[in-house]
Amino acid sequence: MGRKKEADPELDLVPIMNMVTILIPFLLLSAQFVSIAVIDSTLPAIGKPQPTTEQQEEEEKLNLSVAITDKGFTILGASGVLGNPKGEGSTVPCVRDGCPGVESYDTKKLTELLGQIKDEYPDEENVILVPESSIPYDVLIAAMDATREDPETKVQEKARVLFPYVVIAGGVQ
Amino acid sequence: MGKRKLRRQSEDGGLNITSMMDMMTIILVFLLKSYSTDDVSVAPSKDLQVPVSTSEKAPKLAVNVVVSQREIVVDGESVLQLTTTQDANGVEVTQVPDDEKRGQLISALYERLLEKAETAKDLAMRTGRAEFEFKGEILLQCDKRLPFSVIREVMFTAGQAQFGNFRFVVIKGSG
Repeated sequence: MGRKKEADPELDLVPIMNMVTILIPFLLLSAQFVSIAVIDSTLPAIGKPQPTTEQQEEEEKLNLSVAITDKGFTILGASGVLGNPKGEGSTVPCVRDGCPGVESYDTKKLTELLGQIKDEYPDEENVILVPESSIPYDVLIAAMDATREDPETKVQEKARVLFPYVVIAGGVQ
Repeated sequence: MGKRKLRRQSEDGGLNITSMMDMMTIILVFLLKSYSTDDVSVAPSKDLQVPVSTSEKAPKLAVNVVVSQREIVVDGESVLQLTTTQDANGVEVTQVPDDEKRGQLISALYERLLEKAETAKDLAMRTGRAEFEFKGEILLQCDKRLPFSVIREVMFTAGQAQFGNFRFVVIKGSG
């Protein structure tokens, strides 16, 4: 019996176990289960007025802005309320009850409309968000997501970029 | 055979650790995978629920402003308590107390941020290195239920204190 034990040596796992039990609490502490990201935004630039030469008037700035109210989104351009090419209205009303809750906003429709505007003005990259005072921050982030890219349309395997540079304006009191 | 096994076990009296080792190894690998060395950490709580977004941009270290439903915290130090009142419809509204602000400017936050800006500029001047250059970047961690009026006041104050590049911290989600 004694000889057989010698012939069948077993690994002594206890020290490894000790190490692992120490490592686990340590890693648990430094583990991060949510991965975070950031959305960039700048203050509206205060500064030099644009020189209005004739050439610049031709390549007119779009000044795309999206107003967020407790009724829904409204897309505005330099020339007032912007209609899309199909002649539909540019307001994206809330689809479900509970406005201004984030669930009730139709962000898909907003992305779709902005996609059509991007087709017309492919060089535009700026969008100005104008939220009302009572709009929750959640909705603001959802609107930024909706204006930044279109996950439904793929360009080279990636979501199509719409208007990545977002500026938040003071909004209506 | 059965008798012998029984005898052997009672002789050793040892635990069979192998299966436990298996489990530990799996846990270890999982934890190593979720180990993160990000500059920025978010500690979600009842008062601070960071919204979910599809943004992929990685956060960079900057002055950290946390706006929860109860207070405003700059780089870990509490600056100001917020009040929550109920409006006519019984909806809870969080706001900055009126005596804490001048117009849209939140005085206490402004002073603290101005200090931070001065420190950052001083550091940039002393080191003279491009990576420490003051770019006015500020990380905003805000609760998702806060009304835009509070966010606007915080943004306005930060803008007055020369912090013009906002980075809104969000949780990466599938969208």
